[in-house]
Amino acid sequence: MSVIELAQQLYDSQLGTALRESVYAFPIVEGLHLIGLAFSVGLLLFVDLRLLGLFLRHIPVANIMNPLRPWLLGGFVLTLVTGILLFIAAASKIILLPVFLFKLGFIALAGINALWFEHKWGKTILTWGLQDVLPTGVKFAGIASLLLWSLVVITGRLIPYLSIE
Amino acid sequence: MSTLELFKALQTSSFGRFIGSLDHLVHAGIQLLHITGMLLLLSSIVLLSLRLLGLGLRQTPIAEIANATSRFIWVGLGLLAFSGFLMLAPSATNYYANDFFWDKLILLALALIVHVSLFRKITRSESTSAITARFSAVLSLALWFGVAFAGRFIGFF
Repeated sequence: MSVIELAQQLYDSQLGTALRESVYAFPIVEGLHLIGLAFSVGLLLFVDLRLLGLFLRHIPVANIMNPLRPWLLGGFVLTLVTGILLFIAAASKIILLPVFLFKLGFIALAGINALWFEHKWGKTILTWGLQDVLPTGVKFAGIASLLLWSLVVITGRLIPYLSIE
Repeated sequence: MSTLELFKALQTSSFGRFIGSLDHLVHAGIQLLHITGMLLLLSSIVLLSLRLLGLGLRQTPIAEIANATSRFIWVGLGLLAFSGFLMLAPSATNYYANDFFWDKLILLALALIVHVSLFRKITRSESTSAITARFSAVLSLALWFGVAFAGRFIGFF
Protein backbone atom coordinates (compact mmCIF):
# COMPACT_ATOMS: atom_id res chain seq x y z
CA MET A 1 0.00 0.00 0.00
CA SER A 2 1.43 3.38 -0.97
CA VAL A 3 1.59 6.34 1.39
CA ILE A 4 -1.11 8.10 -0.63
CA GLU A 5 -3.43 5.09 -0.37
CA LEU A 6 -2.81 4.94 3.37
CA ALA A 7 -3.64 8.65 3.65
CA GLN A 8 -6.88 8.05 1.72
CA GLN A 9 -7.79 5.20 4.10
CA LEU A 10 -7.14 7.41 7.14
CA TYR A 11 -9.23 10.18 5.55
CA ASP A 12 -12.11 7.77 4.90
CA SER A 13 -11.87 6.12 8.34
CA GLN A 14 -14.54 6.67 10.99
CA LEU A 15 -12.17 8.83 13.01
CA GLY A 16 -11.25 10.98 10.01
CA THR A 17 -14.88 11.46 9.04
CA ALA A 18 -15.94 12.20 12.62
CA LEU A 19 -13.23 14.86 13.00
CA ARG A 20 -14.30 16.56 9.76
CA GLU A 21 -18.01 16.45 10.40
CA SER A 22 -18.15 17.40 14.06
CA VAL A 23 -18.72 21.10 14.64
CA TYR A 24 -16.46 21.30 17.68
CA ALA A 25 -13.90 18.48 17.33
CA PHE A 26 -11.66 20.14 14.78
CA PRO A 27 -11.29 23.56 16.48
CA ILE A 28 -10.81 21.86 19.88
CA VAL A 29 -8.01 19.69 18.49
CA GLU A 30 -6.48 22.77 16.84
CA GLY A 31 -6.68 24.67 20.14
CA LEU A 32 -4.92 21.81 21.94
CA HIS A 33 -2.29 21.72 19.16
CA LEU A 34 -1.60 25.40 19.90
CA ILE A 35 -1.40 24.81 23.69
CA GLY A 36 0.96 21.89 23.01
CA LEU A 37 3.12 24.23 20.93
CA ALA A 38 3.27 26.77 23.77
CA PHE A 39 4.65 24.06 26.10
CA SER A 40 6.99 22.43 23.56
CA VAL A 41 8.38 24.96 21.10
CA GLY A 42 7.52 27.81 23.48
CA LEU A 43 9.44 26.51 26.51
CA LEU A 44 12.23 25.28 24.23
CA LEU A 45 12.61 28.87 23.01
CA PHE A 46 13.68 29.88 26.52
CA VAL A 47 16.11 26.95 26.77
CA ASP A 48 17.62 27.85 23.37
CA LEU A 49 17.92 31.53 24.32
CA ARG A 50 19.67 30.47 27.54
CA LEU A 51 22.14 28.42 25.48
CA LEU A 52 22.83 31.58 23.46
CA GLY A 53 23.28 33.64 26.64
CA LEU A 54 20.19 35.76 25.88
CA PHE A 55 17.88 34.63 28.71
CA LEU A 56 18.54 34.33 32.47
CA ARG A 57 22.28 34.12 31.74
CA HIS A 58 23.22 34.14 35.44
CA ILE A 59 21.23 30.97 36.11
CA PRO A 60 23.10 27.68 35.44
CA VAL A 61 21.85 25.98 32.26
CA ALA A 62 20.94 22.79 34.15
CA ASN A 63 18.63 24.75 36.50
CA ILE A 64 16.60 25.84 33.48
CA MET A 65 16.83 22.81 31.22
CA ASN A 66 16.24 20.00 33.73
CA PRO A 67 13.04 21.25 35.40
CA LEU A 68 11.52 22.23 32.03
CA ARG A 69 12.33 18.96 30.25
CA PRO A 70 9.26 16.95 31.38
CA TRP A 71 6.90 19.85 30.49
CA LEU A 72 8.59 20.33 27.18
CA LEU A 73 8.40 16.65 26.30
CA GLY A 74 4.79 16.50 27.51
CA GLY A 75 4.06 19.45 25.22
CA PHE A 76 5.63 17.61 22.29
CA VAL A 77 3.48 14.54 22.99
CA LEU A 78 0.31 16.71 23.05
CA THR A 79 1.37 18.48 19.84
CA LEU A 80 2.18 15.18 18.14
CA VAL A 81 -1.07 13.44 19.13
CA THR A 82 -3.24 16.42 18.10
CA GLY A 83 -1.13 16.84 14.96
CA ILE A 84 -1.82 13.22 13.96
CA LEU A 85 -5.56 13.82 14.48
CA LEU A 86 -5.45 16.99 12.35
CA PHE A 87 -3.59 15.02 9.68
CA ILE A 88 -6.12 12.16 9.72
CA ALA A 89 -8.99 14.63 9.22
CA ALA A 90 -7.47 15.88 5.95
CA ALA A 91 -4.88 13.18 5.20
CA SER A 92 -5.59 12.62 1.51
CA LYS A 93 -5.15 16.34 0.76
CA ILE A 94 -2.26 17.12 3.12
CA ILE A 95 -0.11 14.20 1.98
CA LEU A 96 0.11 15.80 -1.48
CA LEU A 97 1.42 19.13 -0.18
CA PRO A 98 5.17 19.76 -0.52
CA VAL A 99 4.97 22.18 2.45
CA PHE A 100 3.79 19.31 4.70
CA LEU A 101 6.75 17.16 3.65
CA PHE A 102 9.07 20.09 4.40
CA LYS A 103 7.47 20.37 7.84
CA LEU A 104 8.13 16.67 8.53
CA GLY A 105 11.72 17.12 7.32
CA PHE A 106 12.30 20.07 9.65
CA ILE A 107 10.82 18.11 12.59
CA ALA A 108 13.21 15.23 11.82
CA LEU A 109 16.21 17.59 11.64
CA ALA A 110 15.18 19.34 14.89
CA GLY A 111 14.85 15.91 16.55
CA ILE A 112 18.30 14.85 15.35
CA ASN A 113 19.74 18.15 16.64
CA ALA A 114 18.16 17.54 20.08
CA LEU A 115 19.43 13.94 20.26
CA TRP A 116 22.90 15.02 19.20
CA PHE A 117 22.87 17.76 21.84
CA GLU A 118 21.83 15.34 24.60
CA HIS A 119 24.44 12.80 23.49
CA LYS A 120 27.34 15.25 23.11
CA TRP A 121 26.62 17.77 25.87
CA GLY A 122 23.93 16.31 28.13
CA LYS A 123 26.19 14.46 30.57
CA THR A 124 28.62 17.33 31.14
CA ILE A 125 26.01 20.07 31.57
CA LEU A 126 27.05 20.67 35.18
CA THR A 127 30.57 21.58 33.99
CA TRP A 128 30.00 23.78 30.92
CA GLY A 129 26.59 25.01 32.11
CA LEU A 130 28.20 27.21 34.76
CA GLN A 131 30.64 28.99 32.45
CA ASP A 132 30.13 32.60 31.45
CA VAL A 133 30.70 31.85 27.80
CA LEU A 134 29.17 28.57 26.62
CA PRO A 135 30.99 26.24 24.18
CA THR A 136 30.50 27.01 20.47
CA GLY A 137 28.93 23.59 19.86
CA VAL A 138 26.27 24.33 22.49
CA LYS A 139 25.47 27.70 20.92
CA PHE A 140 25.27 26.07 17.51
CA ALA A 141 22.74 23.53 18.81
CA GLY A 142 20.70 26.41 20.29
CA ILE A 143 20.63 28.36 17.02
CA ALA A 144 19.83 25.23 15.01
CA SER A 145 16.96 24.42 17.38
CA LEU A 146 15.52 27.96 17.19
CA LEU A 147 15.77 28.03 13.41
CA LEU A 148 14.40 24.53 12.78
CA TRP A 149 11.43 24.81 15.16
CA SER A 150 10.57 28.23 13.70
CA LEU A 151 10.53 26.63 10.26
CA VAL A 152 8.30 23.84 11.61
CA VAL A 153 5.78 26.41 12.91
CA ILE A 154 5.96 28.45 9.69
CA THR A 155 5.49 25.49 7.34
CA GLY A 156 2.73 24.15 9.60
CA ARG A 157 0.79 27.41 9.56
CA LEU A 158 1.15 27.61 5.77
CA ILE A 159 -0.54 24.22 5.22
CA PRO A 160 -4.10 25.62 4.96
CA TYR A 161 -2.88 28.49 2.76
CA LEU A 162 -1.14 26.21 0.28
CA SER A 163 -3.88 23.58 0.21
CA ILE A 164 -5.46 22.63 -3.09
CA GLU A 165 -9.21 23.04 -2.85
CA MET B 1 -21.61 55.76 16.03
CA SER B 2 -22.51 52.22 17.01
CA THR B 3 -19.93 49.44 17.10
CA LEU B 4 -21.45 47.87 14.00
CA GLU B 5 -21.20 51.15 12.10
CA LEU B 6 -17.59 51.49 13.24
CA PHE B 7 -16.80 47.97 12.01
CA LYS B 8 -18.55 48.69 8.69
CA ALA B 9 -16.58 51.92 8.31
CA LEU B 10 -13.31 50.07 8.96
CA GLN B 11 -14.12 47.37 6.43
CA THR B 12 -15.14 49.80 3.68
CA SER B 13 -12.31 52.25 4.35
CA SER B 14 -9.52 52.39 1.78
CA PHE B 15 -7.26 50.76 4.39
CA GLY B 16 -9.65 47.85 4.94
CA ARG B 17 -10.12 47.37 1.20
CA PHE B 18 -6.37 47.60 0.59
CA ILE B 19 -5.57 44.87 3.14
CA GLY B 20 -8.38 42.75 1.73
CA SER B 21 -6.99 43.09 -1.81
CA LEU B 22 -3.58 41.68 -0.86
CA ASP B 23 -2.45 38.22 -1.95
CA HIS B 24 -3.50 35.30 0.26
CA LEU B 25 0.17 34.65 1.05
CA VAL B 26 0.36 38.11 2.65
CA HIS B 27 -2.59 37.05 4.79
CA ALA B 28 -0.68 33.86 5.64
CA GLY B 29 2.20 36.13 6.72
CA ILE B 30 -0.18 38.09 8.95
CA GLN B 31 -1.32 34.78 10.49
CA LEU B 32 2.33 33.88 11.10
CA LEU B 33 2.87 37.13 12.98
CA HIS B 34 -0.23 36.31 15.03
CA ILE B 35 0.91 32.80 15.99
CA THR B 36 4.43 34.10 16.75
CA GLY B 37 2.97 36.68 19.12
CA MET B 38 0.68 34.06 20.67
CA LEU B 39 3.56 31.62 21.26
CA LEU B 40 5.79 34.32 22.82
CA LEU B 41 2.97 35.34 25.14
CA LEU B 42 1.68 31.85 26.06
CA SER B 43 5.11 30.33 26.65
CA SER B 44 6.05 33.23 28.95
CA ILE B 45 2.83 32.76 30.93
CA VAL B 46 3.40 28.98 31.05
CA LEU B 47 6.96 29.48 32.31
CA LEU B 48 5.89 31.94 35.01
CA SER B 49 2.93 29.81 36.03
CA LEU B 50 5.01 26.64 36.35
CA ARG B 51 7.28 28.57 38.71
CA LEU B 52 4.35 29.98 40.71
CA LEU B 53 2.83 26.50 40.98
CA GLY B 54 6.14 25.14 42.27
CA LEU B 55 6.41 22.83 39.25
CA GLY B 56 9.57 24.18 37.66
CA LEU B 57 12.58 26.50 37.99
CA ARG B 58 12.33 26.41 41.77
CA GLN B 59 15.96 27.51 42.17
CA THR B 60 15.33 30.73 40.24
CA PRO B 61 13.69 33.72 41.98
CA ILE B 62 10.20 34.54 40.63
CA ALA B 63 11.04 38.21 40.17
CA GLU B 64 13.99 37.31 37.98
CA ILE B 65 11.84 35.13 35.69
CA ALA B 66 9.16 37.84 35.59
CA ASN B 67 11.77 40.39 34.62
CA ALA B 68 13.28 38.19 31.91
CA THR B 69 9.92 37.22 30.35
CA SER B 70 8.39 40.71 30.51
CA ARG B 71 9.72 41.85 27.12
CA PHE B 72 8.54 38.62 25.46
CA ILE B 73 5.05 39.19 26.83
CA TRP B 74 4.85 42.79 25.60
CA VAL B 75 6.45 42.06 22.22
CA GLY B 76 4.01 39.14 21.89
CA LEU B 77 1.02 41.33 22.74
CA GLY B 78 2.25 44.00 20.31
CA LEU B 79 2.52 41.45 17.47
CA LEU B 80 -0.91 40.06 18.36
CA ALA B 81 -2.58 43.49 18.36
CA PHE B 82 -0.90 44.58 15.11
CA SER B 83 -1.60 41.37 13.17
CA GLY B 84 -5.04 41.03 14.77
CA PHE B 85 -6.03 44.48 13.53
CA LEU B 86 -4.84 43.60 10.01
CA MET B 87 -6.97 40.43 10.15
CA LEU B 88 -9.98 42.35 11.44
CA ALA B 89 -9.93 45.33 9.05
CA PRO B 90 -10.87 43.69 5.71
CA SER B 91 -13.68 41.54 7.16
CA ALA B 92 -14.75 43.43 10.28
CA THR B 93 -18.48 42.73 9.80
CA ASN B 94 -17.82 38.97 9.72
CA TYR B 95 -15.98 39.24 13.03
CA TYR B 96 -18.80 41.40 14.41
CA ALA B 97 -21.27 38.59 13.73
CA ASN B 98 -19.01 35.92 15.28
CA ASP B 99 -19.76 35.08 18.94
CA PHE B 100 -16.28 33.65 19.50
CA PHE B 101 -14.71 36.96 18.48
CA TRP B 102 -16.53 38.72 21.33
CA ASP B 103 -15.77 35.85 23.74
CA LYS B 104 -12.12 36.27 22.81
CA LEU B 105 -12.19 40.04 23.44
CA ILE B 106 -13.87 39.60 26.85
CA LEU B 107 -11.36 36.91 27.87
CA LEU B 108 -8.53 39.12 26.59
CA ALA B 109 -9.74 42.07 28.66
CA LEU B 110 -9.99 39.87 31.77
CA ALA B 111 -6.58 38.30 31.13
CA LEU B 112 -4.97 41.73 30.73
CA ILE B 113 -6.61 43.06 33.91
CA VAL B 114 -5.41 40.05 35.90
CA HIS B 115 -1.97 40.34 34.34
CA VAL B 116 -1.31 43.97 35.25
CA SER B 117 -2.87 43.69 38.71
CA LEU B 118 -2.76 40.37 40.60
CA PHE B 119 -0.20 38.59 38.40
CA ARG B 120 2.20 41.54 38.37
CA LYS B 121 1.97 41.92 42.13
CA ILE B 122 2.57 38.23 42.78
CA THR B 123 5.52 37.92 40.41
CA ARG B 124 7.28 40.92 41.94
CA SER B 125 7.27 39.81 45.53
CA GLU B 126 8.87 36.75 47.07
CA SER B 127 6.75 36.84 50.20
CA THR B 128 3.42 35.86 48.64
CA SER B 129 1.62 32.90 50.14
CA ALA B 130 1.79 29.71 48.10
CA ILE B 131 -2.00 29.59 47.77
CA THR B 132 -2.26 33.10 46.30
CA ALA B 133 0.61 32.35 43.93
CA ARG B 134 -1.05 29.12 42.76
CA PHE B 135 -4.44 30.79 42.37
CA SER B 136 -2.91 33.56 40.23
CA ALA B 137 -1.10 31.03 38.04
CA VAL B 138 -4.19 28.91 37.41
CA LEU B 139 -6.38 31.97 36.76
CA SER B 140 -3.87 33.51 34.37
CA LEU B 141 -3.29 30.23 32.49
CA ALA B 142 -7.04 29.60 32.19
CA LEU B 143 -7.72 33.10 30.83
CA TRP B 144 -4.85 33.14 28.31
CA PHE B 145 -5.58 29.59 27.13
CA GLY B 146 -9.20 30.70 26.81
CA VAL B 147 -8.10 33.60 24.59
CA ALA B 148 -6.10 31.19 22.41
CA PHE B 149 -8.96 28.67 22.18
CA ALA B 150 -11.59 31.31 21.37
CA GLY B 151 -9.21 32.61 18.69
CA ARG B 152 -8.94 29.17 17.09
CA PHE B 153 -12.73 28.83 17.15
CA ILE B 154 -13.38 32.13 15.29
CA GLY B 155 -12.36 30.68 11.95
CA PHE B 156 -14.77 27.76 12.14
CA PHE B 157 -18.05 29.56 12.90
